[in-house]
Amino acid sequence: MRIPAFLLIAQWALLLALSLLVIIMYRQLAKVFGQQQPKTDHGPPVGTKAAAIEYVGLSDDAPGYFVPGVQPTIVAFVEPSCLGCEKLVTAINTADDIGELTGLRVLLLMSDPPKYIQISDAFKSTRQEIGRIMSRATVDAYGAVATPLLIAINASGIIQAAGPVNDISGVRSFIQKCHLPVPDSMLPVISVAEASTEKSGASTRDSHPTGIRGE
Amino acid sequence: METLILLGAKAAVAATLLIAGGAKLADISGFAATTRLFMPWRLPRLLTRCFAVGAAVTELMLGALSLSSPSVRWLNLVIFAVTLLFLAIASLGYALHRGRSCRCFGALSQRRFDARGIARSAAIAAIAAVAIPGAPTAAIRIDAPERTALAIGAIMLSLAAFTAASSIGTTRATESRLTAR
Repeated sequence: MRIPAFLLIAQWALLLALSLLVIIMYRQLAKVFGQQQPKTDHGPPVGTKAAAIEYVGLSDDAPGYFVPGVQPTIVAFVEPSCLGCEKLVTAINTADDIGELTGLRVLLLMSDPPKYIQISDAFKSTRQEIGRIMSRATVDAYGAVATPLLIAINASGIIQAAGPVNDISGVRSFIQKCHLPVPDSMLPVISVAEASTEKSGASTRDSHPTGIRGE
Repeated sequence: METLILLGAKAAVAATLLIAGGAKLADISGFAATTRLFMPWRLPRLLTRCFAVGAAVTELMLGALSLSSPSVRWLNLVIFAVTLLFLAIASLGYALHRGRSCRCFGALSQRRFDARGIARSAAIAAIAAVAIPGAPTAAIRIDAPERTALAIGAIMLSLAAFTAASSIGTTRATESRLTAR
């Protein structure tokens, strides 16, 4: 049996056209789920000043306001509905049980409805302060595009570490970073001339406590 | 060889018409907006929509007929005329609405009225012109079952184009919603 030439060619044309559509679809899929998606930073940049956080306390429904720079703080963006977050809260609870959180403030921030706490044993049993995020600005300021996100803030209110952590070793490392001093890059830069002027002024003041400068 | 080129050109233009028609039907509001650009007078929205649907269905019919009835020679001439119309629209779009989306393939492409669009339309018209003489009867004689199979293939292709265009349109809309959030 002889197959007409047009039938052969038409079949190939149909096949190629369908293949083209498949390629277009996969390209679109790659755009939506893949590498062409704009890269967003997860967590705030280290070394920057932490933003204040407005929240509602889950235990008393009272509005809370976290101002960085009072004491070393661990802030965790967690949701009871997320498995990684449950692991992180468990790790924080373990660190608390061992006494590693002494001198630290811990703030767990979530956006799930409050009743979701009931689905997670770690959240139910934690002694840490849990707050519900009040504004989108908080999420944006901390780059909390995904959970879990742990942030270490030192006593000066500077972010020392930020990232997705869900085990005790990670939590320990963040606790240590909370106690770090202000990084050198954050210290104010003074020019040599200014420094020498200040130094001579200081020595003058030292030698002349009354403020009368020498001739 | 000459026959193969003739038949290849005919099949390629038919497949293009099927994809374009299916994709336009998936985003008929968008295509209606483009057709409104070329209306010298303001037509009611429903009428413009009907016109857009008519244009897309005509493309589909021509593509399906060309693929399943290769022996109808006058169809080659009609298809060539249609591709010339596309070329005229692309040129007019370039002159009057440069940079606006042409929606020639619905959401499948984001081509605009530009010089490359004119070149593409000219290329399609040239391919359609190649198919005008028609191939020898022996090469295009197909029986009813084969004709039916090709018609089914044509319907499948236009359905695939419709589905692809509508899902791409949906993901683009979702993307922009997420960005705006």
